[in-house]
Amino acid sequence: MFDTRRFLTGNLRHACVPLRMARRWRWHGYAWAVAAAASCTLIGVAMQPRFDVVNIAMVYLLAVVVIALRFARGPAVTASVLCVAAFDFMFVPPRGRLSVDDVQYLLTFAIMLAIALIISRLVESDRRQASEQAALEVAAETERIRSALLASVSHDLRTPLAVMAGASSSLAETGERLTSVERSALATSIFDQAREMSEHVAKILQMTRLEIGAISADRDWTALSEIVGSVLRRLAERMARHRIIVDVPEDLPLVRVDATLIEQALGNLLENCARHTPAETVVRVRAQRQQSEIVVTVEDYAGGLSDAELERVFAKFSRGTVEGGGTDIGLGLAICRAIVRLHGGRAWAERVSGGGSAFKFTLPLELPPDIPPEPVD
Amino acid sequence: MAENRPTILLIEDEAEIRRFVRVALTAENYRVVESSDGRRGAIDAGTHKPDLAIVDLGLPDIDGIDVIRRLREWSPMPIIVLSARVQERAKIEALDSGADDYVTKPFGIGELLARVRAALRHVVRTRSGTTVLKLGAAIVDLEVRHASRDGVDIRMTPLEFRLLAVLAKHAGMVVTHRQLLTQVWGPTHATDTHYLRIYMKQLRDKFEADPIRPRHFVTETGVGYRLLVDE
Repeated sequence: MFDTRRFLTGNLRHACVPLRMARRWRWHGYAWAVAAAASCTLIGVAMQPRFDVVNIAMVYLLAVVVIALRFARGPAVTASVLCVAAFDFMFVPPRGRLSVDDVQYLLTFAIMLAIALIISRLVESDRRQASEQAALEVAAETERIRSALLASVSHDLRTPLAVMAGASSSLAETGERLTSVERSALATSIFDQAREMSEHVAKILQMTRLEIGAISADRDWTALSEIVGSVLRRLAERMARHRIIVDVPEDLPLVRVDATLIEQALGNLLENCARHTPAETVVRVRAQRQQSEIVVTVEDYAGGLSDAELERVFAKFSRGTVEGGGTDIGLGLAICRAIVRLHGGRAWAERVSGGGSAFKFTLPLELPPDIPPEPVD
Repeated sequence: MAENRPTILLIEDEAEIRRFVRVALTAENYRVVESSDGRRGAIDAGTHKPDLAIVDLGLPDIDGIDVIRRLREWSPMPIIVLSARVQERAKIEALDSGADDYVTKPFGIGELLARVRAALRHVVRTRSGTTVLKLGAAIVDLEVRHASRDGVDIRMTPLEFRLLAVLAKHAGMVVTHRQLLTQVWGPTHATDTHYLRIYMKQLRDKFEADPIRPRHFVTETGVGYRLLVDE
């Protein structure tokens, strides 16, 4: 039996596709209508010696029902008309002509057409409901993301703003009465908060630009060891409390990537580990060649993620528990994944046996052009 | 009395940014000349003959890159550009057009002061005509084309040496991929970045204690390289 629900949900995607594809889908329906009428005729011919004409009509009826369920009204009507014509021409006496001897067959034709219309109408209204439902779900999801964004923006931006406003007004209004140590502590916290906020804003902009496709990868030959080196230099202060082990083989081939973006992707993974693991724990950065790709791994050995978290951490605005101070806007891993996908790679997380998490991404390997060898002086 | 404080020309349209940069530079005993747009800045450069210029890339009247080109027509003074994060391409173009270094907004004043000091030190070093560089335990003499560590020779290929020499000429400052490639391999190789990656690794293997975390041959991701020498 046909599972109408599954048919409908199967069609849901088509209900939402752009017009051009929907149109192609419609032609597809007509083609299936013709094909169905033709195959019924072949089956009918095979059945004819042993079965009654009424049973052959049933085969046609089945085809009409299937087409009506699967496609729009146009193909359904087409199928019923074609089936009626083929049935009449091939099997209803006088055969080989589109005329009818027995008036009873006219009733068969009318019923076939009516069934096609009724079913396609039912299916259409059900389909419309399903697509309305889907549109509602999309709207709800958009709304959920928007309010998550607002909540996150308001928290992550308001807190540093509050600190900056408070600390700077203290400096401006009571600065003379403060000791130089107090003044410099206030000024330092304004600087730190401003820097953090600037990074939050940069991440929100970056995520938005990646999502709307406003960022393209400006690829060039790059050494991953250099990217690792410059990330570690950039994050030296933030990673100072962790022990970092670097494991990049000497002979790792060059990759053709947008170095700035990949630096950012790797940096986000490292920052994420630094933020969610206690001080003095080890973070390992590794790059390996595996068949036709390079796998970059950032691994920590503290805590670890649950099955659900392994995937959820890559979602926008997902926050874990933060060790020590600082906030996490929850975009780092989402940006990392978007950047890696832009390069044709994959990004995912795994559990490390014995506790800890491994964040990995791949980059496709291309053969770099040769360089003429040169002897030393 | 003739002032011997170095003069710094600051071309920046945002008054608030000019203010804190001026305060910090003055506190460091520099004389500061401020211009709020590019045309004004080009004229001020002619009248004040500054020792260094800081140019914002997002000026309201003319392109910061045009300002750099105008200055470069007659002056070899160090130019540092201030760029926003979204001006990645403009930053590289500015460096290729003659700027020596960059600071990305928002920046801490410490970062800007460090760049200014490095650029002015570079001028002094160039004037003194010194050709000997110290890179950690290694010593390089550019004039006699010789490098050694603890009395042991470091052997280099002619291209490795030429790459080191171009970086050394701009020691402390950024040299773009394009500049390195055209000056070491020639204009036909201006985009053969893979040459640079391979040769930079060879130089690091010879001079750095930990080639993955270089202290001297520093990567400026997406832009170029910077050679940090010990004083």
